[in-house]
Amino acid sequence: MYRLYIEKNISSNDLLKKVLLENKITDDIIYNKYGKPYLKNTNVYFNISNCDEYTVIAVSSKEVGVDIEKITFKKRVIDKMCTAEEKKLIKTPEDFTIMWVKKESYIKYLGIGLEYGLKNVDTIKLKNFIIKKIDNYYISLYLGNKVEV
Amino acid sequence: MKEEIINLISEVLEVDKRKINENTNLINDLEIESLDLVDLVAAFEKKYNFEIPDKDIKELQTVNDIIKYIESKNV
Repeated sequence: MYRLYIEKNISSNDLLKKVLLENKITDDIIYNKYGKPYLKNTNVYFNISNCDEYTVIAVSSKEVGVDIEKITFKKRVIDKMCTAEEKKLIKTPEDFTIMWVKKESYIKYLGIGLEYGLKNVDTIKLKNFIIKKIDNYYISLYLGNKVEV
Repeated sequence: MKEEIINLISEVLEVDKRKINENTNLINDLEIESLDLVDLVAAFEKKYNFEIPDKDIKELQTVNDIIKYIESKNV
């Protein structure tokens, strides 16, 4: 089970306060050593991403990673971060942006930051990303192998 | 070296180079996101012809950190 909150022109902190209030959660936030935030005593997971005026928060009953990015194309990033198979599939800015948000959401799901190595996130082999598009932005949500909707 | 690095940051991030000095923090001062950070690191790799592993990216917080990092690679 998950819920995705998407709002414009609100800070991460303010949207998080709103989401916690709506879910009647009054818990302290703690961080793992890589900076991923968790609720201290509540069995609810969340993850935050920002891009320009958008803030998104995913709330889930299990580990979750979310990322939002405006549609773009960065050749150098493809060269550095993609596997040979991924490179073959990236033809348009949409392809690139979806690949990027998938990689980021997976790394944020793991909660270990860039140290994991973006090239090690194989977006062809990994399944069950949930992709949404809003205006000129793509959002990817990763909740692990099995998704309960 | 310093000027060369500031010029590259300015070009990749499309930021006026007068706003960048050696104490500039990429995330706090220039408010860059991870995609731009990775793009910038890839640009340094291309220019100086060596690889910057992902695990080192978090150490590159200020322009000074970048200068020291690149100098340490004996470029």
